[in-house]
Amino acid sequence: MSPMSPFHRPGQASGPVSRREFLWRSGGGLGGIALAGLLGSEGLLGSEPGRLVPGRAHFRPKAKRVIQLFMAGAASHLDLFDYKPQLVKRDGQKSDFGEHVEAFQDGLGPWMKPVWEFRPYGNCGKQLGEVVADLGTVADELAFIHNVVGKTGIHSQATYLQATGFQLPGFPGMGCWVGYGLGSLNENLPAFVVLPDHRGFASNGPKNWDAAFLPQQHAGTIMYPGRENPITDLFPGRAGDYITPSSETATHALLERLNRDHAGTREGDARLDARIRSYELAARMQLAAPEALDIGHEPGHILDLYGIDRSTRTWPAEINAAEEIDAFGRKCLVARRLIERGVRFVQIWSGNDNGFPRRNWDSHEDVRRDHGPLARGFARGASALIRDLRQRGLLDDTVILWTTEFGRMPSSQGGKGRDHNPYVFTNWLCGGGIQGGVTCGESDEWGYKPLDRNRPTTVYDIHATVLHLLGIDHEKVTFRHNGIDRRLTDVHGSVIPGVLEAIR
Amino acid sequence: MKSLLHIGSRAVPFFSGVWVLVSAGLAFAVGAADPVKIDLWSLTPLVRPAVPAVAARSPIDAFINARLAAEGLRPAPEADRRTLVRRVWFDLVGLPPRPEDVEAFVADKDPRAYERLVERLLESPQYGERWARHWLDVVHFGETHGYDKDQPRPNAWPYRDYVVRAFNQDRPYARFIQEQVAGDVLFAGTRDGIEALGFIAAGPWDLIGHAEVPESKIDGQVARHLDRDDMVATTLQTFNSLTVQCAQCHNHKFDPITQEDYYSLQAVFAAVDRTDRKYDPDPEVGRRRAVLEDRRRTLDQRRQVITGHIVDRAGTALKDVERDLAAAEKAAKDGEAFGYHSLIEARADTVKWVQIDLGRPVPLARVVLHPCRDDFNGIGEGFGFPVRYRVEVSDDVGFVSGVGVIADRTEADVPNPRLQAQVIDGAGRTAQFVRVTATRLAPRMNDHILALAELEVFDTHGTNVARGAAVTALDSTEAPLRWQKRNLTDGWYPGISVGEVGGVAELRRRRDGILTASTLPDEMMARDESDRGVAEVAERLAKLPPQSVAYIGAVHSGSGAFAGTGSRGGRPRTIHILDRGSVQKPGREVGPGSVQSVGILPARFELGSDAPEGERRAALARWLSDADNPLTWRSIVNRVWQYHFGRGLVETPNDFGHMGGRPSHPELLDWLAVEFRDGGQSFKRLHRQILLSAAYRRTAAGDPAAERVDADNRWLWRQNRRKLEAEAVRDAVLCVAGRLDGQMGGPSFRDFVIDKPEHSPHYEYHLHDPEDPRSHRRSIYRFIVRSQQQPFMTSLDCADPSMQVGRRNESVSPLQALTLLNNALMLSMSRHWAERLESVPGGLDGQIEHAGREALGRSFTGAERAALVDYARAFGLPNTCRVIFNLNEFTFVD
Repeated sequence: MSPMSPFHRPGQASGPVSRREFLWRSGGGLGGIALAGLLGSEGLLGSEPGRLVPGRAHFRPKAKRVIQLFMAGAASHLDLFDYKPQLVKRDGQKSDFGEHVEAFQDGLGPWMKPVWEFRPYGNCGKQLGEVVADLGTVADELAFIHNVVGKTGIHSQATYLQATGFQLPGFPGMGCWVGYGLGSLNENLPAFVVLPDHRGFASNGPKNWDAAFLPQQHAGTIMYPGRENPITDLFPGRAGDYITPSSETATHALLERLNRDHAGTREGDARLDARIRSYELAARMQLAAPEALDIGHEPGHILDLYGIDRSTRTWPAEINAAEEIDAFGRKCLVARRLIERGVRFVQIWSGNDNGFPRRNWDSHEDVRRDHGPLARGFARGASALIRDLRQRGLLDDTVILWTTEFGRMPSSQGGKGRDHNPYVFTNWLCGGGIQGGVTCGESDEWGYKPLDRNRPTTVYDIHATVLHLLGIDHEKVTFRHNGIDRRLTDVHGSVIPGVLEAIR
Repeated sequence: MKSLLHIGSRAVPFFSGVWVLVSAGLAFAVGAADPVKIDLWSLTPLVRPAVPAVAARSPIDAFINARLAAEGLRPAPEADRRTLVRRVWFDLVGLPPRPEDVEAFVADKDPRAYERLVERLLESPQYGERWARHWLDVVHFGETHGYDKDQPRPNAWPYRDYVVRAFNQDRPYARFIQEQVAGDVLFAGTRDGIEALGFIAAGPWDLIGHAEVPESKIDGQVARHLDRDDMVATTLQTFNSLTVQCAQCHNHKFDPITQEDYYSLQAVFAAVDRTDRKYDPDPEVGRRRAVLEDRRRTLDQRRQVITGHIVDRAGTALKDVERDLAAAEKAAKDGEAFGYHSLIEARADTVKWVQIDLGRPVPLARVVLHPCRDDFNGIGEGFGFPVRYRVEVSDDVGFVSGVGVIADRTEADVPNPRLQAQVIDGAGRTAQFVRVTATRLAPRMNDHILALAELEVFDTHGTNVARGAAVTALDSTEAPLRWQKRNLTDGWYPGISVGEVGGVAELRRRRDGILTASTLPDEMMARDESDRGVAEVAERLAKLPPQSVAYIGAVHSGSGAFAGTGSRGGRPRTIHILDRGSVQKPGREVGPGSVQSVGILPARFELGSDAPEGERRAALARWLSDADNPLTWRSIVNRVWQYHFGRGLVETPNDFGHMGGRPSHPELLDWLAVEFRDGGQSFKRLHRQILLSAAYRRTAAGDPAAERVDADNRWLWRQNRRKLEAEAVRDAVLCVAGRLDGQMGGPSFRDFVIDKPEHSPHYEYHLHDPEDPRSHRRSIYRFIVRSQQQPFMTSLDCADPSMQVGRRNESVSPLQALTLLNNALMLSMSRHWAERLESVPGGLDGQIEHAGREALGRSFTGAERAALVDYARAFGLPNTCRVIFNLNEFTFVD
C-alpha cells in the first residue's frame, strides 16, 4: 500500500520502496519448496517427551477455523446482551443480593438498570442493548451463554483463565493448542495470529497467547496491519540499509547453497534440513503476510460493511465510537482475509490494559462513557464479519467466540459504573456447528449469578466445545510438561450440547 | 495438510514400567489415605555401583561402553580438535573460541592439551556466566512481576550475580542449596546468605492480588496460596525433580506425594513473601553495623530504665497528659483523617448538608470552613469543596425555624479555594447548630460530592467551640480513618502544623514540666550521657557505606493490603490442608515438613511452636541437602549431564516421578551422584569427569549402521549435535562482531524502552537502539521481562521466566529465520563485523577467510570462499556477514 492510500494512517513510517514489489522480485524465484507443514509440525523437533503420536481428528469436524473476539477489562453482560427487566424496575433502589457479596472495589451501590434500551432482534427475538444493535442483523446466527462463571475478579488472572484455561502464567493460549492439535492449513502464514488492540496489549500482554511449554512455533504471531513491519522482523529495518532486493535474492540463494553443503556432510539430522526450509518459508511469509493484510483492494461495499473510515483524518484523543468502529472493523476484515488464506485461529482484542483514562472495558466509573464506543465498535465489526463470512460460505466452517474476563455487577458503584462480577457473565458463539438464535444457560433475575447455581458454564466447557467443533476431543490433545500431561481444559470441561447444531 | 494429534491417554505408559503406573494409580486415587511407599526408582537409596570391568578411558566410559557392547554398538571416533575446541568453548563458557585459540589448540603437541583447555575454561569467569543461565532457567528467574501491571523488580539482579559467583567459586552443592533456601539463617551475616534468597522470590508475583486485595478476601487468599505454591513447586522441582504441586487438590495421582506433604511444604514458606530487603554486601560493614545497633539498643535500654523511674515518680498526671498528647499528635500527623465526605451523586445539583451541634447556644464570632486535600483523580487541594453553598445557624436541630443565613454563595459558582480557609462572620448571632448546605456539588470523576476537612466555630473569646462537636449529615461515606463525619471537628485539616493541632504545643509543655519536676539530678546526668552516646552511634552509622537492596523471599513488613507477616513478628500464617485446593474449604492445620516417602529422612519438622520462621526453611534446607536424600544428588548430576550432551540420562530433568522418564544408564547416574556427593560436591570436578570422557569427545557425525540400532543415540555411541541457545547465539554474534562488552555483574541492561511506566509498563523492544553499547553485554545480564518477552530471544526458544524450564524447547520456524535475518541487532552487528573485517589484509579473499575462522572456527573451503567472495563483491561485506550469521553452521555445534 502506498503512503497516499486512504488505508495508510498518519504517523506510520513507510519505506521508499514498495515492499510488495521488492518481495515478489526477491522471493518469487524460490520455487519448489517442500511443504512439510513446518509451521505446525513436531516430528522433527526434540521437545519434552510428550506422547507425540500422529493421529487424526477424533470426530468429524464441523469447523476448521476459529476467530475469537476478546473484550479486555470485562464487558458488562447486563448492558449488552443479558436483559434484566428486574433491574429496570428496581433501578436506583438499594441493592440486596440476599447474601454476603465479595466485590473487588466493594462497589455495591443501588441496583442499576441497563445503560441502553433493549429491543428484540431477529426471528429468535433476542433482546439486545441498543449499543450493540448492529448485532441484531445476525441475531439468528448467535448462541448466547448467559451463565458463564469465572474463578476470580482479578483482571490478570481472569484474562489468563479465559485465554489459556489457567489462572496463572506459564500456559499456552487457546490458539496454540488448536495449532498444536491440528497443524496448519497453509504454508505461508502462521497458524495462530493475534490482532491486538491498537492502543496496546491487554493484561498479561503476549503471555495470553505465547506457546509456554509447547514448541515455540505454536505461539500466536502478532500482526499489526498497516505497519511497515506488520510482523516483528518481517523485513529489515533502517539498520539494514545495505540490503537491496537483489542482494536479498542472492542472500537466500547463497544461504541455501552453503547450508545444503553443510547438511550434506551431516546426513540424518533432520533439523538442518528443516532450518533450510524455514528460510524458504520465511521468504514466502514475506510475500503472503503483507498481501493478506492489505485491504486496499477490497471493494467499497465491503469496506462500508465493516465501517472502515476511508478518510485520512486523525482521531481525537478521547475514546470515540467512530474510531472504535474503524479500528475494530479493520481487524475483522483482516481476520476474514487471514482465515481465507488458511490461518487457523485469529484472536482479536478490544481494549488495552487497565489505566486512566479508561482504554478498555473496565467501567468502574461510567459504563456509558467506555462501553459505548467500544461496544459500537465491536458490534459493527463483528456483525459485518459474520455477514461477510456467511455470504462467502465461510461461516459454515468458522467458529466465532466472543468472550471477556468476567461480567459486571447489577448494582452501581454509587455512580454510573459497575464493579467486577466474576460470578456470572456472557459468552456467545456462532458459525460452524453452532445453532444460531438460541440462549443456553441463563443468569438469575439480577444477572448476579447463574439461575441454576449448581449448573454453571465454565471456561473449560467453552474451550471443550470449540475444540469439539474442530473435531478434537479436549481430553486427548495433551503435552507432557514437568511430569504432567497438560491440556487446555486442565482436568475439567464438557461440551455444551445446547449450542451445537442438530445433527443433520 | 499434515495433521498431528497427540493422544494423551494415561493408559499408555511412556516407559516400560507399566506395572508401576498401575500400582501408582491404585495407591494414589483421589482421596486415598496413607499412601504406602512404592517402588519409584528415584527414591531408592543411593549406593555406589561397581564400575563395569571393560576397557575404557574413564569410569563414565566403562558404564557407557558396557551398554554399547550389550546393544551391539561401536563407539564413534573422537572428534577432531577443531570440532572439540568449539564444542568445549560453547559448553563451558557459551562463546565461540577466537581464531588464535582454535589454532593454538589444534597445534598443541602436549598430550594434555585438551585437559589444559578444559581447565582454563573452567577457571575463566565466563564459565559462571554460562552456567548461571542454566540455573536461572530452572528457577524461572525474572525481573518483573508478571501478571497485570507488570512492574519491574529493579533489585532482583543480586541473585543472578550470586549464582554466577557461586558457580565461579565452585560452591559445594549442599551449601548452594542451603544458601538459597535458608541462607539468612544458616549463613547469617554473609552476603551470599541474603542474595541467594532471591531463589525463593525468583518466580512471578501477582501484584494486584497482593497489593490491592487483602488476605481477608477470597481473591487475596487465592493470590497468596498461589504465591506459596510457586515457592513450593520451585523448590522441590529444582532440587528434587519432584512435581509436588500436583498434590494440591488431592494426593499425587502417580507419585508417592500426599496432600499433607504438599501443605507441609507450604507451611515452610508460610511467613515469607517476595520483598525488597536491605543488607550489607560487605560482611565487615554488616558486623560493624550490628555492633553499633547493638550499642544503640543498650543505650536505649539504659535510658528506658531511667525513664521508667521518672515515669513512676510522675504518676498519673504524666499518663493523662501523654495520652492526650499522643492522640493529638496522631490526629495531627498522620493526616489520614481527611474529613467528611458525602455519598457520591451522579448529578451536581443534588442538595447535601452537614451540620454540627455545639451542645448549647453559643455567641458566634466566626465560622471557618477548611477544604480537603485528596489526590484521587488528580484533584488534590480543594477536593469536594462545594461549588455553591450556604452556611446557616439555628437553635432548631432540623433547621426549620429560627434559621439565620450567615453566608449565601448559592447564586453563582464559587471558584475552588484550594486549601484557603473560608472565614464567615458570625454576624453577632447566638446558635447551637451550624449547617453547611451545598446546592451544587464538587466534581469528582464524572460524579459529584461534598467534602470538608474541618468546620471551626469561634466564640467571642476566640475559642474553637466546635472541636469535638457532634456531626450529623444528610448522608456520609463512612470510611475511617480517612473519611467519617467526626473528622469534621477533629481539629485536623490539611496545612495545619502539628504543633497547632488540638493544643499539641501546650500539651508538650505540660508534659515536659511534669517530667522535669520528677527527674533526679543523677538521672538527668545519666540520661544526657546516654543521649550523647546515641547521637554518636547515629553519626557512626551514617558514615557506614549505604546498604544494598535485594529482592528476596523474606518476611515482609508492609501497609495496606500487602501487609506481610512483619507486623506479627514474622509469625507464619496458619496453613491448612485445602479440600480440592480451595481456600474456602480449609481442613486440618499442618506444620512444616516435606515429602514423607523420601523415607530415610524425617519429613515432619519437629519445631517448637515459637520457633522463628527461618527454622522452618533451615529444616527444609537440611532435608534437601542431606546426603541421604537420593533425589537431590541424582537430580543435579542429571542436569549437568544434560547440558553437556543435550539430553539427560533421565530425559525429564524436572520430573523423576512416574510420569517422567527413566534413566538410560541407571548405574552411571548413581555412580555420578555418589561421586559428586562424596567428592566435595564440586561442579567443576563433575564437568572435568564428563568432559574428559571418551563419550563426550566423540564425533557427532552419523553412522547408518549405528542408526539402525539406535537412531536416537540413547546409548551415546556418538555425541549429539546441538543447536545453540538464544543467549549463546546472541553472545556469539556480539563477540564475532567485536562488540561484546565483558563487564560482569550489576544491574541488568535494558534492551527496551518503557512506555507508561506509572501504571502498566509497556516494554517496547522495537524502540531500543541496537547501537546502544550498554546493551552489548552478555545475555545473562539482560533485564528479563515476564509479560512481554524479548521477541528476538523468544523466537530462539529462550526460557520463559514464567515457568520452570528444565530443558528448553528447540524449534525451527520461519519466524526464527526472519528474526535472525532482520532483527535490528543482527543487522547492526553484521555491519560492525564487516567494518572490522575491512582492516584484515589480503583483500576480500583474506577477509572472508578470517570471517570463517571467527564465526565457525575453520577456513572456508575453496568453493565456499569463491561463492562468498563473489557475493561480497556484488553486495558488500555487511551483507556477507549477515549471510554467515545465518548459516546453519553458526547456530549448530558439532
